[in-house]
Amino acid sequence: MRNALKYMFFASMSLAVVAVSHAAEPLKFKMMAPIYVDGKGAGIKQPEGVSCRGNALVVADTGNGRLLRYTIAGDNWTPSGEIVLPQLPFPIRVDVNSKGEIFALDGKSRRIVRVGASGDFLGYVVPAGDVQGAVVPRSFRIDRNDNLYLLDVYSARVLVMDPSGKIQREIPFPKDHGFFSDLSVDEGGNILLLDSVGKRVFRIAKNSREIAPLSESLKEDVYFPAAIATGRQGTIFLVDQNGSGIVILGPDGSFRGRRLSMGWKDGFLRYPAQMCVTENGTAFIADRGNNRVDGFVVTE
Amino acid sequence: MTLRTKTALVLLAIVSTTAVSLSYSQDKFRLKPGAKGKVCLTCHESFKEKLKLPFLHTPVKAGDCSDCHNPHTSSHGKLLSENVNRICFSCHGGIVPEKARSVHKVVVEGNCVKCHDPHGAKNKNNLLQAGNALCSGCHQRLAKEVAGNKFKHNPVEKGCLNCHTPHASAKALSLLKSDVPALCVACHKPDAPAFGKQHMGYPVAKSNCSSCHDPHGSGSRGILWGIPHQPVANKMCNQCHLDPSSPDALKTRKAGYELCRGCHNTKMNEILGGNRIHWPVVDKMSCQNCHRPHASRENALLKEPQLPLCGKCHGDTIERLDKSLVKHKPAQEGSCTKCHMPHSSNNVLLLDNTSPINLCGTCHDWQKHSTHPIGEKAVDKRNRNVTMDCSSCHAPHGSEHKRFMWFDVKRELCEQCHEQYKR
Repeated sequence: MRNALKYMFFASMSLAVVAVSHAAEPLKFKMMAPIYVDGKGAGIKQPEGVSCRGNALVVADTGNGRLLRYTIAGDNWTPSGEIVLPQLPFPIRVDVNSKGEIFALDGKSRRIVRVGASGDFLGYVVPAGDVQGAVVPRSFRIDRNDNLYLLDVYSARVLVMDPSGKIQREIPFPKDHGFFSDLSVDEGGNILLLDSVGKRVFRIAKNSREIAPLSESLKEDVYFPAAIATGRQGTIFLVDQNGSGIVILGPDGSFRGRRLSMGWKDGFLRYPAQMCVTENGTAFIADRGNNRVDGFVVTE
Repeated sequence: MTLRTKTALVLLAIVSTTAVSLSYSQDKFRLKPGAKGKVCLTCHESFKEKLKLPFLHTPVKAGDCSDCHNPHTSSHGKLLSENVNRICFSCHGGIVPEKARSVHKVVVEGNCVKCHDPHGAKNKNNLLQAGNALCSGCHQRLAKEVAGNKFKHNPVEKGCLNCHTPHASAKALSLLKSDVPALCVACHKPDAPAFGKQHMGYPVAKSNCSSCHDPHGSGSRGILWGIPHQPVANKMCNQCHLDPSSPDALKTRKAGYELCRGCHNTKMNEILGGNRIHWPVVDKMSCQNCHRPHASRENALLKEPQLPLCGKCHGDTIERLDKSLVKHKPAQEGSCTKCHMPHSSNNVLLLDNTSPINLCGTCHDWQKHSTHPIGEKAVDKRNRNVTMDCSSCHAPHGSEHKRFMWFDVKRELCEQCHEQYKR
């Protein structure tokens, strides 16, 4: 018994030391070469969306009304084509599924467009099943199993759809919130919602239908968070659009630090719009105001 | 000694200690016999006139100057025995209910003397002025509006305290005696035939009266807010609501922006056709996020002036504006729509012009002067994908630097691009 107590004491002490060292050492952002151009050397304009999966990077080149594809190899990237579709004149959010299909939210029609791996138009995402009320997506995300999570601001809910588009879950927004701008799904299948006005993160546990606040109001740490992304070990990244920075939260929603700042030069941000993090910890940020995509190696 | 005797002795000790402490507190400064209420007046002779006033503060009346003042020394002004903003609460602590829903700002600040004379006054409760004149001293804009109103609300004329409590309200916001509509229906009986007729037969007894009516009076008949929505002014409630005879009469005919689209179709098409929508337009509340559906005191039926309205969601921008030493005039004045489109736009940040240079040019005649190279051909040296425009140097809302520059104009600003001149 005494040995067990001793073991528990030392285990808790080591955990505390790890926790303290973790809290004291927030993640570092090491700059990679930013992406300024497509394969033909034409400049990116006001990009608002970015998604990375495996070694594929897709950019919503919003100002030019197209999607751009890149291949990531270590710290380098190479252009691998552009997609221009009449159904997608103004892409603002983008994600990729396991088959390499691209899903993009069009800001003009406010519909999610499904694009084949070869760049052809496959159709619009239309929720199948018993769905009451109109759907206006503000954002969406695709998880590892190709389920699609849709943030429907018109009917104030989150819709979870399986790969065939069939509704699996419908979770109404909580009463007490400001305005939800984005959502993300972490490694454990939990949905994270970003309240840009209340400056809070809400969480829907895997398979749950309840939305609960994960963080306190982050008013002191963030100006206007517009997008949310999750990284390894449940780290949460908030893209602070008006603060031109990235706010890092722990998996429990606790504030871990703030990275990057406002500026025009490489390594700085101006009104960033969306962020993605690869499995090996490389972050890409759609840097709208700087007309480029910034890449950073995120290290402990 | 028996238990009874012991108990009696303990009680006696408690009673005598209390009596001694009470007598001490009543005469803590051990004044000479007969000095109470007189000794201060030997020097403060002019105060004798004050004592002739019809309403006196209880300690003043009792001659207990030392209830509030320390005759020897104090850390507070006027030899008060406590901070001037807290001293009243040492006796009047219960003036704010425990779970008050609204508290008068002056009470929160402890500025009791803004309304009361601490010694005495000509008015009841030692008020500095009688009736509405007292409230008008601070609420000047409202008082001016009330005076100019063609259609008066009778209780307002008779006194603000008909509807409001002066210190705090446990029951309602805005210091109201009770919530709306309970407050209103106390006088305006919803079951009266005239009431039903005025409201086109709609069951509004439980609705928010101030959604249509200005409780302080108005220039419009029926004391509607100054700018009524046309269907309200025309008494055409059924343009938006179901028929008054239907079981759910107050329900709107359609939800969200689809309802407004019925009349404002062109406007809605224009809004929804923009590349960048202001997202609240398409959420559940839609137009009602910013507009009042029935009547308003603001143009375009806005809920409130632009600065506080936009600040409800964009508080960070307003906060930064407040902290800026040099502010851009339209931002300072709360004219957000001078530069931004409130509903949708094809331009980034919902700007009102594709070119930020032309946008600034609508007010600033920079074209008439020589300028730093700007425009499509002037590439920003800091970023090859960005061209120079006004916001390359100026922070559009404001900054801590002269002419709301992003950086200090003496060195830092120019060195951003012209690094060769860096010292």
